[in-house]
Amino acid sequence: MTTSSSASDGSASFAAPGAAGRRNRALLRNFFAREIRTRYLGSITGLAWALLHPLALLAVYYFVFTTVFRTGGFQGHGFLPFVAVALWPFLAAQEALPRATISLAGYAGLIRKVAFPHELVVYASVAATVALQFAGYLAVLVVLALIGEPIHFAGLLLAIPLWIVMTVALLGLSLALAALQVFIRDVEHVLMPTLMILMYLTPILYPLTLVPVDLQPWVAANPFSWLVGRLRDCLLEGRLALEWGDAVAVGAALLVFTGGRWVFRRLAPQFEDFV
Amino acid sequence: MSALLTVQGAGKDYAKVDTRRGRVRLVWDLLRGHAAARVFRALDGVDFELERGASLGVIGENGAGKSTLLKIVAGVIEPTRGRVHVNGRVGALLELGSGFHPEYTGLANIELAAALLGLAPQEIEGKRDEIIAFADIGEHITQPIKYYSSGMVVRLGFAIATALRPDVLITDEVLAVGDESFQKKCIAWIERYLEDGGTLLLCSHSMYHVQKLCQVALWLRDGRPERYGPATEVAQAYLAFHEEKEASERQPLAEAHARTAGLYAIRSLELAPGDRIAQGTDLTICGEVLSPDGRPPVVLVGIVRADGTSVYGVATDMDGVVLDEAKGDLYPFSLTLVRLALLPGKYFVRVHALDPGALRLFDHVERSFVVTGETREFGLVTLPHRWG
Repeated sequence: MTTSSSASDGSASFAAPGAAGRRNRALLRNFFAREIRTRYLGSITGLAWALLHPLALLAVYYFVFTTVFRTGGFQGHGFLPFVAVALWPFLAAQEALPRATISLAGYAGLIRKVAFPHELVVYASVAATVALQFAGYLAVLVVLALIGEPIHFAGLLLAIPLWIVMTVALLGLSLALAALQVFIRDVEHVLMPTLMILMYLTPILYPLTLVPVDLQPWVAANPFSWLVGRLRDCLLEGRLALEWGDAVAVGAALLVFTGGRWVFRRLAPQFEDFV
Repeated sequence: MSALLTVQGAGKDYAKVDTRRGRVRLVWDLLRGHAAARVFRALDGVDFELERGASLGVIGENGAGKSTLLKIVAGVIEPTRGRVHVNGRVGALLELGSGFHPEYTGLANIELAAALLGLAPQEIEGKRDEIIAFADIGEHITQPIKYYSSGMVVRLGFAIATALRPDVLITDEVLAVGDESFQKKCIAWIERYLEDGGTLLLCSHSMYHVQKLCQVALWLRDGRPERYGPATEVAQAYLAFHEEKEASERQPLAEAHARTAGLYAIRSLELAPGDRIAQGTDLTICGEVLSPDGRPPVVLVGIVRADGTSVYGVATDMDGVVLDEAKGDLYPFSLTLVRLALLPGKYFVRVHALDPGALRLFDHVERSFVVTGETREFGLVTLPHRWG
């Protein structure tokens, strides 16, 4: 049981590896449960808010794009399913990244006084957001099916792995952003507008085909373009076939995760003094 | 022989950044794996070993590096230099309650503490009642910690520590908070914990607690170990240092400088057996006084604690003693304090030369001495006593 404190994850090094793993799982469960509880149970509207916000957005977009602008050509689908299938994952990212970025500050007391792997805070924050948004996503798919939109539920066989790939990449980004935020408080302020801009550069409210041809490769290069495209393939078209691009995306997500964790672990030993 | 806890040459530097650019620079340095460019040395060169069942007290002024040392031992921060080796489970109790999450209720914090130690919620199921009973904070247990008073936070923190029984208990100034009765409960618990083979690392400003609970003490000064040894000895040295420091802030005490400003002057002053004397043994203060006019001077001997508090003073004329001339104009004197009643610590003997009528003070000389001994009695002197 002898280990030295040179390990990077704090007191995990003080126990046998098995015990450390068990402890970290217990901690992660604890943090995750707390994230879920404090986010929605504390507010008056409770869990409903997780669903109400995206639904309200969807309603506004519906009004703007079908009643005011009267855009069309949603690749043969209604506006609602076309946008809804793509909107939720983006909202998940849009909520997960800023929350995770500032998550360490909420655990400052613990970080300053207790030895534990700080990564767990970021994991719990991202996991809680994605879990709640995914629950909202499923609810909306059911509602769409109930009002007669043709949703291919078998497509979830591919949609769920797609969400997982997105989550892995979000975890990596979140780790890096959260670690940087501890030292440089501007991260949070730069992130919000960036995500807002990214949303309009992603073919969520419009199909890629409406983009002028010479700009299409640029828009398609956005990883979210790939994600929403694949989600529409499986849930709207019922196409489950895998593509080469999927392997690239998995590889890229793992790379982002590894890179983010590397940044985090480099900076984590100094958190105690700065958080 | 493997110690439960080994600290070898431990040191910690904190990065010093005051500007935004400094922060960016620091991040860049850290990412490249470099050390921070500008650092503050919070701790340096600390060595000690702690066997199972031993207890170490860490003392020192604010900012001496005590908390930094405890954080290194608890694994909260990595030492910049040196190594820390732990065999076992360290239940960090650093500044008790700060390991709590302010938004959690007391009950949720019990679960968090258990999770931090790797216990599943059901594993502490049986201990929850014990914790709530020990903390004794009533229905506050269901409220978020942020609404607690500092005393309540410590109560809960201590209650958790007692129920989860870490191999090494680390406490940073916990005994200073909380009311008298709770302190007693804590001390009683720690004593029992030590008797049962528990290991304690205590950080405290209370020398009473350190001497009572610890065998060994480490005195940190400006991040460096100043003294390490038996708790009683280190605690006394620390107290003496402080008393002297306080006194020197009030009035500089020059040691053994014979001023020959007046007519009557003290020419020599000796302490026997020496300037270190065991409590309860005889101390003899002797010397010679100059009297230029051939009349025997009056000698006043005073004992002053290092902080300037007078303990006792007596003059030759009070006891009807008249000094005899020895040679020239010198009058030797000798005063023996029988079975010295002073408690261990640092003191000064102050000898004054007065005119024969004991009306004017002409000269004074000081000499410091240390009373040694191992006792936990309080105050300045041992009073003759008897328990009925």
